[in-house]
Amino acid sequence: MSSPPAVELTNIWKRFPGVIANAGAELRVQPGTVHAVLGENGAGKTTLMNVLAGVYRPDEGTVLLDGVEHVFGSPADALDAGVAMVHQEFRLIPTFTVAENVALGSAPPVLRRREIEEQVADLAKRFGLQTDPRREVWHLSMGERQRVEILKALWRDATILILDEPTAVLTPAEANELGRIVAAMAADGRSIIFISHKLDEVTRFCDEATVLRGGATVAASLPVSSLDAPTLAELMVGESTLVSQRRVRNNPADPDQPVLSVRHMTVHDIHGIATVDDVSLEIGSGEIVGIAGVAGNGQRPLADAIAGLATPTQGSVRLEGDELGGAGPNVRTDAGLSYVPEDRIGVGLAPRLSVTENAMMRTYRTMGAGPMVDFGDARRHCEQLIDEFNVKTGGLDAPIAGLSGGNLQRLLVGRELATSPKALVAAQPTRGLDVQGVAAIQEVLVAQAEAGLGILLISEDLEELLALSDRILVMREGRIVAEFDAETATRAMVGEAMAGSASKREPA
Amino acid sequence: MIGLTLQRREQPLPGGQVRAVLAGAFIALLAGAVLLLLSGSNPVDVYLRMADAAFGSERAWSNTLSRAVPLGLAGLAVAVAGSMGLWNIGAEGQIIAGAIGGAWVARVLPDADGVILIPAMLIGAVIGGGLLAVIPAVLRAQLGVNEIITTLMLNEVILRVVRYLVNGIWKDPGGSGFPQAPLLPDQSALPGLFGRANIGLLIAAAVLIGFGYFASRSKWGYELRLAGSSEKTAEYAGISLRTKIMTVLTLSGAIAGLAGGIELTGSSSRLVEGVANGWGFAGIIVAALALMRPSGVALVAVFFGAVQVGGLAIQVSGVSASIANILQAMILFGALAAGVFTEYKLVRSSRSPRAAVAA
Repeated sequence: MSSPPAVELTNIWKRFPGVIANAGAELRVQPGTVHAVLGENGAGKTTLMNVLAGVYRPDEGTVLLDGVEHVFGSPADALDAGVAMVHQEFRLIPTFTVAENVALGSAPPVLRRREIEEQVADLAKRFGLQTDPRREVWHLSMGERQRVEILKALWRDATILILDEPTAVLTPAEANELGRIVAAMAADGRSIIFISHKLDEVTRFCDEATVLRGGATVAASLPVSSLDAPTLAELMVGESTLVSQRRVRNNPADPDQPVLSVRHMTVHDIHGIATVDDVSLEIGSGEIVGIAGVAGNGQRPLADAIAGLATPTQGSVRLEGDELGGAGPNVRTDAGLSYVPEDRIGVGLAPRLSVTENAMMRTYRTMGAGPMVDFGDARRHCEQLIDEFNVKTGGLDAPIAGLSGGNLQRLLVGRELATSPKALVAAQPTRGLDVQGVAAIQEVLVAQAEAGLGILLISEDLEELLALSDRILVMREGRIVAEFDAETATRAMVGEAMAGSASKREPA
Repeated sequence: MIGLTLQRREQPLPGGQVRAVLAGAFIALLAGAVLLLLSGSNPVDVYLRMADAAFGSERAWSNTLSRAVPLGLAGLAVAVAGSMGLWNIGAEGQIIAGAIGGAWVARVLPDADGVILIPAMLIGAVIGGGLLAVIPAVLRAQLGVNEIITTLMLNEVILRVVRYLVNGIWKDPGGSGFPQAPLLPDQSALPGLFGRANIGLLIAAAVLIGFGYFASRSKWGYELRLAGSSEKTAEYAGISLRTKIMTVLTLSGAIAGLAGGIELTGSSSRLVEGVANGWGFAGIIVAALALMRPSGVALVAVFFGAVQVGGLAIQVSGVSASIANILQAMILFGALAAGVFTEYKLVRSSRSPRAAVAA
């Protein structure tokens, strides 16, 4: 190779308490190219990018830019070396103009407003970034704000731009526009690292792709021209694991007795985009219905809307035929619909409260007379949960922050099942758990289904879906685009539907 | 290159917040000692005299505790809101509103017996403080308007209202032109306990203990803790955040209003413009140092009462009473600064990343 790569990350390790985020990750980006970094949530993409951008220091490993080793003490160091990151959450001051935001932090001591505005306009023109430097940021759409962030990086003369899931907030037209901008910057000799979940964008916008899984690089610098979406999906999701062999259940599911039925549900986000688009599904007694899909395709708002945490713009949820309407989350729980949310700590469990206080979240309203809580009752309830679901704690009054991921999830799942629900929505119930933890949760889910519970299982782990589900529905762009019988479906079939090749919903 | 950098702890230091408050108090006393030395006094001597004035006799205790009453109630008012992550900066104004409410009751029932008049005035004070807090409560719950701004601004509004009252329609005709309301009826004075302390002390203690018990044992208190820990978890548990914000902020104002009522019936003989006397703002410091816990509020309030009484006492010997204010402020600064170390630790940094992580 004639010139050294613009970016060379070698054997990067980064450990956090209880988690290894990067386990020997590698990344090599050639100058003047657009390089995709792919991986599931938790694959270590963001950590690796934060290492490159100077936010984290790696425990081990080296960072080379143009063949020269760098050790960044702060993001400012990285910026000096030409690395800029455009975060998912924009860091702009709404009441400042575009030009003011761009120059903020790197402006000359004496501000010449006119001059800066002209320079920003020139820079924007050069890369095809349509924007008016004099407009205040709060007027701008998400796409325009993103362009301001990119301008900020270019203004600081960044030669390596990291875009963290840049299309997540964009409309399709804006995403295409971004593709053109990215190409213009690459043509200028800059290197762009493009983090994405959306496989079709990777094949359209990028030159090479690196795939991370479990904190390590599983495929480095693959030319995207030689790849199709299903192969990329396969690489991201990985090989089958021991814990995820198909689990046989004793009682056949009874789809003719629907416990949970969702009809024509549509959910809009705060930007007015339909994140769930006319979804209908039915879950029978004792049935496990899996929802597959690349992250961010509407699984979370669907789960929230069913559980009563988000308000659908239209559609209905029925539990054993009873319309739930606008019932709040606790009313739904009392009616027999439980929810294991994707975010264990922060939604399902309250971080600063004790084990007992978290265990009583669904039942405290009936513990004790009048306005007071019978804490004796609450402790007994908590002890029962701990016992039945084998939760290891530092004591009933210890804060749950000290529990391991597996124990947190056992407590959460146990609490949701303790109310003897008829239907359960479980979102990513085993994500991030160790092998034992995954097995324990999967066993509980299967045992509950055998006892007649209808389960909606949302997972990014294809193996898990294939192992546990009776049917698998695939969600893409808020819609259910395919349905498979889990008995006969293969990873390839589901992966293809996730990536967008199969567009028709076929009967199972 | 070697220097010191702050590194985030993997887990917050256990008991770190309490340690930070104690460290803050210690740092403040040290810094105060330096100030005293610079102004030519013997710091040990001054501190001993302050302690003696605050705790040395029954009379000293009565002074300290009667100052702790408004501090404790104002602190509780701020802490109630703070335990849900809301900042009530308006306790000062709510104290005034409470005093206005109490004074209004006294105007309406001038001839009522003390047994009826005093409770009625205190209820009037609770309602007055609560009403003033309803405005930011509704704005925050329904429209998401930042309660810090609204509660702070209402302090100014209610101050103008009380000025209008004592200079205008409630002005004492026999007050030879002074801007003050007429004297309250004699039977409205809170009965004394010992020294300068009156039964306001018992009322405040009962409120602090009762509320502390209720907050830790009731469903309402549990929901408050849940919402304070994580709003999303509270919503997931089916708790209406709007209702919670409304009740908590209103209750916060009502408690501050009670402080105004006790001040009115206990310490002053008439409604005056300066009835709040800075108690409401000091209450913010008290609540912050008490880590928003009712039990902590009582302790910190007594301590601050002592610092204030001590500060007044050393004035006699030529030391400025401002030393008390300086100490109060520095304790807060010290605690806030020391609080950093509950989340971060100091590590020696060098250019080698591995060494930095291992340190």
